[in-house]
Amino acid sequence: MTVVLSMKHQPFRGLGAILFKEFISVWRDPMTLFFMFFPPLIEMIAFGYALDNDVKHMAMVVLNEDRTVESRQLVEKFVNTETFRVVGEVRNVDELASQIRKGRAYCGLEIPPHFTRDVRAGYPAQVQLLIDGSNSTTALQALNTAVAVALTQSLQTLMRETARRSPPIEVRPQMLYNPTMRSPNFFVPGVIGVVLQIGTTFATAMAVVRERERGTLEQLLVSPLSRWGLMLGKLVPYLCIGMMMALLLYGIMRFVFAVPIAGSLLALVVSTFVYVFALLSLGLLVATKAENQMQALQMSMTFILPSVFFSGFIFPRETMPWIFYAIGTLIPTTYFIALSRAIILRGAHFFEYWPNLAILCVMAVALFCICALRFRRKIG
Amino acid sequence: MDAMIECDRLTKRFGDFTAVDHVSFSVGRGSIFGFLGPNGSGKSTVIRMLCGILEPSDGTARIAGHDVRREGDAIKELIGYMSQKFSLYDELTVDENLTFSGKLYGLNGAALRKRRDELIATTHLEPYINRRAALLSGGWRQRLAMACALMHKPTVLFLDEPTAGIDPVARRELWDLLFEFAGQGMTLFVTTHYMDEAERCDHVGYIYMSKLIVCGEPDELKRMPAVSPAGTRRLDVTCDHVTRALQSIRQLSGVRSATVFGQSMHLLVDDKIKREQIEQQLRAVGIGNVDVHVIGPSLEDVFVTLTAQHANANGRKAA
Repeated sequence: MTVVLSMKHQPFRGLGAILFKEFISVWRDPMTLFFMFFPPLIEMIAFGYALDNDVKHMAMVVLNEDRTVESRQLVEKFVNTETFRVVGEVRNVDELASQIRKGRAYCGLEIPPHFTRDVRAGYPAQVQLLIDGSNSTTALQALNTAVAVALTQSLQTLMRETARRSPPIEVRPQMLYNPTMRSPNFFVPGVIGVVLQIGTTFATAMAVVRERERGTLEQLLVSPLSRWGLMLGKLVPYLCIGMMMALLLYGIMRFVFAVPIAGSLLALVVSTFVYVFALLSLGLLVATKAENQMQALQMSMTFILPSVFFSGFIFPRETMPWIFYAIGTLIPTTYFIALSRAIILRGAHFFEYWPNLAILCVMAVALFCICALRFRRKIG
Repeated sequence: MDAMIECDRLTKRFGDFTAVDHVSFSVGRGSIFGFLGPNGSGKSTVIRMLCGILEPSDGTARIAGHDVRREGDAIKELIGYMSQKFSLYDELTVDENLTFSGKLYGLNGAALRKRRDELIATTHLEPYINRRAALLSGGWRQRLAMACALMHKPTVLFLDEPTAGIDPVARRELWDLLFEFAGQGMTLFVTTHYMDEAERCDHVGYIYMSKLIVCGEPDELKRMPAVSPAGTRRLDVTCDHVTRALQSIRQLSGVRSATVFGQSMHLLVDDKIKREQIEQQLRAVGIGNVDVHVIGPSLEDVFVTLTAQHANANGRKAA
């Protein structure tokens, strides 16, 4: 009476059925698609514009008590670095400090009355720079620039006096891969790695947990569906969507943020494919444990949050305490960000980046196998 | 009659709680087995163990000779299961739900279409084939769930409260279908709360507090001495003001139990009680139009009596 053919040990038994159903479900559920696409897009744009640590045109107030051509030239030199812009002149030291305290300026330049006289007389002439140290990044840049301005000026004066044509040592830096030091070039490939997690990990976790909540999972367990068939069937539709999303994000990176892709596009697509596969497997792993959508959400967040900090996305991993460095080695995003920066920015060749790709492949396959094996075809 | 479902001291414990306690029964090919019991008594747990999705703690169970513990894969090909919730995919249409179920069991192409059309005809789902399952009413959802469970022509079909929340017409039609399937040789295992449904089964089992307290043909159960003790008979008494009459009749010695049953009362009385005594007792409190008939016990009488006995026995044990 049974119509079932001799298909006893098909490892992917029922895959076709799950794919059939899952593609229809995804297509009919615009809310899921919306929540897969929308937050990553917003975050990509937000991160892309906001994460900019080039400090330019920092507000500066000036207290010039010398009022000579030389002192005005010094102020010009500060402004010419493009790091500072003069927002006002003040008449005494108290006012200088109060402007910084009020947040109207990041730094204050004080040129004392005898500045020009001291310079001409060959005495060490002193100027004072007050810097708002509450933001360490901007403070550091202000400090470096100010010191550089002073050194250059001093050097020129000394060269005039000793009649030398060039300074004793000259550094001629050449910035490779990101010549103009644009921060989007550094951040946007990383942002893609981070935001890709949001749509994908949740999607597969939800796809399985929703079935558990609705009771349809029980119906599937009673059928001869194999766990490999179920897991792959849940993964493939979201792999397609994840790849479409990735291509969209790369498009935005290339044409909105104008980040050139130096390396092979194919290598980038393959790396992204492996990475998205790993992320979806992570979502399935969450689903083998989570009883409801709330738990699935919380557990996915537990995996996603560390990746923002420990993957090298913002902070370089090399300077982290060993424990955070170790956490980073467990996160797929770490390897993907390394890969995408290598391919997009440095145009690396296969034999230069393959270790990261290999690790990512191992992670993807291992995660998928673990969740398929962990998934019990039983309840309770 | 070869046994398609056999349980032998089947037991399931969840921690300290024993959900199913040494349950043994067997169901023959082509018969309808009604499985009854209050909520939480262990009905669904038994079904889940028989379907191979819940590991028994102790005892054995076989489906068509296959052990549920070791031969789960073989069993899955043979059984159909319709859960309490009529688990359907709401975003899929009727047609797509059926196609999905067929594909799940390896049906494809022409064979799949043929089977789908057969079931659509059997369940009269034609007008709704392109409607999303979410938009079906309870009765149609239940038909679709059943059609999905039948796509692979199972030899044993488990239905967990298939008629809960369904209107009486749909209920009747479902049972007509079940009889048709049983006639074709399918073995059916049905849990229900409805006594009229239980009466229609070939065999019924009654589970109470995790234990199967009785199992057999409905008529057999009604003849049990515990249900119909020697020297007693059951009477149906029609009269005015039934509820008031009940209080009065309970005071008459020789009346062992009395319950209201619609416009009448069902009494279990000693044989010595005469019809006139009952009429007298009621007339004394001003109740007229008394009419008394001898009746046989219903399955409800069987289960109520057995439950009471069991609860008493447990109470004594506890004390």
